[in-house]
Amino acid sequence: MKKLLTASVLSLGLAMPAAAQQAGGRLDIVVQPEPPSLMLGLVQNGPTQLVAGDIYESLLRYDTDLEPQPSLAKSWEASDDGLTYTFTLHDGVTWHDGEPFTAEDVVFSVDTFLRETHPRLRVSLEHVESVTAPDDTTVVFKLKNPFGPFMGIFEVGTMPIVPKHIYEGTDFANNPANNTPIGTGPFKFEEWEKGSYIHLVKNEDYYLEDKPYLDEVYYRVIPDAASRAVAFENGEVDVLPGGSIENWDVKRLTEMEDVCSTGKGWEYFAPHAMAWMNNREGPTSDKLFRKAVMYAMDREFVKDVIWNGFGTVATSPVSSKTNFYTDDTIMYDHNPDKAKELLEEMGYDGETVRILPLPYGETWQRWAEAMKQNLEEVGINVEMVATDVAGWNQKQAEWDFDIAFTYLYQYGDPALGVARSYLSSNIAKGSPWNNVAGYENPEIDAMFEEAAVAASAEERQEIYTEIQKTLVDDVPVAWLLEIEFPTIYRCNVKNLVTTAIGVNDGTRDVWIEQ
Amino acid sequence: MIDFLKRFSRNRGALFGMIILIVVILLAVFAPLIYPESPWKMVQRPFLPPFSTEGLPLGTDTLGRDVAAGLVHGARVSLIVGLVSTLVALLIGVPLGAFAGFYGGLVDDGAMRFTEFFQTIPNFALAIVLVAIMEPTLPTITLAIAIVSWPPVARLVRAEVLSLRKREFVDAARLAGLSNLRILFGHVLPNAMSPIIVMASLMVATAILLESSLSFLGLGDPNIMSWGYMIGAARTVIRTAWWLSFIPGVAILLTVLSLNLIGEGLNDALNPRLARKGR
Amino acid sequence: MTLAAAILGRLAKAAITLLLIVILNFFLIHAAPGDPAMVMAGEAGAADEQFIQQLREQFGLDQPLYVQFWNYVSGVLQLDLGYSYRQQMPVLELILDRLPATLLLTLTAFCMSLLLGIAFGLAAAARQGKMGDSAITSMALLFYATPLFWVALMAVVLFSVKLGWFPAFGYETVGAGYTGLDLVLDRLKHLFLPALTLGLFFMAVYLRMTRSSVLEVSQMDFVKTARAKGLGEGTIRRRHILRNALLPVVTLAGLQAGQLVGGAVLTETVFAWPGIGRLMFESLTARDYNTLLGVFLVSAAMVIAFNIITDIVYRLIDPRI
Repeated sequence: MKKLLTASVLSLGLAMPAAAQQAGGRLDIVVQPEPPSLMLGLVQNGPTQLVAGDIYESLLRYDTDLEPQPSLAKSWEASDDGLTYTFTLHDGVTWHDGEPFTAEDVVFSVDTFLRETHPRLRVSLEHVESVTAPDDTTVVFKLKNPFGPFMGIFEVGTMPIVPKHIYEGTDFANNPANNTPIGTGPFKFEEWEKGSYIHLVKNEDYYLEDKPYLDEVYYRVIPDAASRAVAFENGEVDVLPGGSIENWDVKRLTEMEDVCSTGKGWEYFAPHAMAWMNNREGPTSDKLFRKAVMYAMDREFVKDVIWNGFGTVATSPVSSKTNFYTDDTIMYDHNPDKAKELLEEMGYDGETVRILPLPYGETWQRWAEAMKQNLEEVGINVEMVATDVAGWNQKQAEWDFDIAFTYLYQYGDPALGVARSYLSSNIAKGSPWNNVAGYENPEIDAMFEEAAVAASAEERQEIYTEIQKTLVDDVPVAWLLEIEFPTIYRCNVKNLVTTAIGVNDGTRDVWIEQ
Repeated sequence: MIDFLKRFSRNRGALFGMIILIVVILLAVFAPLIYPESPWKMVQRPFLPPFSTEGLPLGTDTLGRDVAAGLVHGARVSLIVGLVSTLVALLIGVPLGAFAGFYGGLVDDGAMRFTEFFQTIPNFALAIVLVAIMEPTLPTITLAIAIVSWPPVARLVRAEVLSLRKREFVDAARLAGLSNLRILFGHVLPNAMSPIIVMASLMVATAILLESSLSFLGLGDPNIMSWGYMIGAARTVIRTAWWLSFIPGVAILLTVLSLNLIGEGLNDALNPRLARKGR
Repeated sequence: MTLAAAILGRLAKAAITLLLIVILNFFLIHAAPGDPAMVMAGEAGAADEQFIQQLREQFGLDQPLYVQFWNYVSGVLQLDLGYSYRQQMPVLELILDRLPATLLLTLTAFCMSLLLGIAFGLAAAARQGKMGDSAITSMALLFYATPLFWVALMAVVLFSVKLGWFPAFGYETVGAGYTGLDLVLDRLKHLFLPALTLGLFFMAVYLRMTRSSVLEVSQMDFVKTARAKGLGEGTIRRRHILRNALLPVVTLAGLQAGQLVGGAVLTETVFAWPGIGRLMFESLTARDYNTLLGVFLVSAAMVIAFNIITDIVYRLIDPRI
């Protein structure tokens, strides 16, 4: 007997607003920084996903509760033992160059293309035994073992479907088609004026009859945060995706007439700001010191002053928006006295500790400065390190830091976005995205492994609760804030944020009220 | 000397500049007395406008830090960077130019090619690359500024030495049996001092501008609060708190202006023949 | 030495200088921490050894430094400036793409500053010692001392935000599809503020130089002779004073012209002007070695070219040489 997991029409209904959608119009969205490429299969950074999310699609989308919704797959079923997943694809889907889209494209994308190019998906694919296409509109995934997060990896940035007929047998990285990306999405690539804008136009042959509503979308490149705010004020751009402008401008812009904002659209990524603490050497290798750091920080101040009240103080390695979060852990409040006590207990000798800020704007710079102040107030000697993006990546990869700011995406499930930071098997020089802190705990390793493949959600919750309690006690990294990046837009732009990745795949449903 | 002072003080602009510079120097020297707390300390609510709160004459910035404290401590940074980088640039440029002008021939050729080489690389771009490589700290920034600033000094010194070495007193010194080096450093260079001093004062001004530009772009030393840093940090809130960018900018302007005025005053005072021509 | 021989000599020296610049910059830039593979991996938000290794291979970074160096230099000698993996296009094309924007900005600023500077300088010299002179020289001093980026910011606040007269940034109104006169006007509107801020500093420089040069020349003997001969003031000004006084200004202008390509980093950054300066800064941040080297090369070539041109012009103008 197969459990049916067809998409509920209810959620589709909730996504439709009461008023009638009007077709036509042009949307200007800011993209920052300029993406290096639009080929989402090869490059997975934020700006690329923002733009390419309109060009490419995956099998599923997710609503703001992380429930799967149809995308290229119109329905799906899972076997009772959780080892076989069958997806039924839409009919009549074509690539932007006119070629028909079939299940073979999915098999090629997952098994061949992305396996070679996509580090994050590679990790998940280890649980997959085979991907097959019994017919043109059916894809079957067979797993080696039950894998809880499996239904959560069909997001366009994690698993973009790419055209087999263009990429098969070629050198993926150097394929000339990379400059004119071909996808199945609601918008086609039209033009890219480097340093200025990327122009997408409506896909007239899109398989959903009345969509997209817009005629065209311009992604505007404006390198300066202040200029971006001005562009919005002057009416030159209509949408400021989260993180485009500094937080201080958010309040001012949202108070303008006909301007709306929303904190939604980040549930899948759930950006989690943290600071690695070097577990290997220096004062940070001592657990007591790390606890002292947690008590010394005034994270509420940071949230109120630097983030304008947006966000939530992070209490655990798992975000409250991600599945399996628990608040049943030690809570580190702002307690400088306790911090001083701990430092004395540990016998802190005054060794200078370096802070490596995130080189992505004034907000992060101020944050590092605030942390420096907090730490100095409890008697820790702190030095700030100046760096740019390349240097920041390098220092983390080479373990040349004491405290280093970063923020990571959670991807909806601890097995996908959280585990990678704490598994000892993930300790390796050369990447800023693995277990940079160098935390080694075989118990935690075992628990993460167990939880990934546990059969039921209840079992997984139990294990993850245990994991969070232990991690919060060991405090290998300083969890700072669950970041909320408000998306700012003109109120007459409707349906902009309806999914868990918001503007990254949103323009399919957007319409402009004239 | 008295003559020189008299000529200098006759120039009203130079006097004005002198007064301002003295004020800046005093603020810098007495900074730890006037504002003993670190300017990085978050003392009050952020974005308090100037003249609105007791004890905070210039208000607070984005994190609630005292702007006046930042301004006073920033004076130290600007002056130190300006002075030291100019000194280093002089240490490189003066000997180089002197040798080139005095010995001529291959030495001159080599030195000039070297100087030209440095002048063909875009100044600011080189400074940025150097700072990126060396990682921004106060010493590295000072060094980077010195490295892009020395070529004009070398050229000036060379030109001066070239014209001076043909004078009679050099021949006389040679006849007296003095070594070339002694002649160069003991007799020729001292006579070339005036234009070098004038240039030095302008170089300090340029160095201050360079440092603030680098800090503005985010390439400054993050442990030091400098005026350029303050402007850069306030850039994103320029619509709501424009004074945070304005005030440090005025400080830079006044300091650089005063140095320029002093430089002009020095020029007039040290070059009386031109002064007599009614400039 | 004949003009032709002099030029050839200079060209030969120029070639050597350029080569040296390439060598120096190559090693300088590779000395900066991090590399483009690291940057791209960092931006991807997730990366593993394999991913970074693939990138390194793609960028040719896995080869020893001297091999990379040799490949680069031999490419340059054939006018191939390499490939920008960041921007996914050949560096030469990328630079030629962005060059017009910078040239438009700097040429406008240059011409404006030269014309205004000379005009004001002449006016100041004519009113020497009087109110007009003080006012003009004070203004010049002010512009000379002001930090460029600060002026840019204040200009944006005043003219763009508060008054709304000019756009705050950018090259053109995107996607508006202007043509003909509309296009020209649109471009001019966007050009105004950046060119103004860039030009103010140099205007002050030319102003002061013109003024002092005119004053110095006016005192010279041959002018006194001309006056004694009974020539009209206007003729004296034009034929004698101006030509001689402008010599040093022209020299300076010629030297500054070399900075046309490399000198607008700050302005381009503040005004989001899509030119070479911004490209340089961005490629430094992204450790896009090839592009960075290419920009340096082109800038240096411009400087050298203008130095040679200035020399030639000087020889032609200055009767003494």
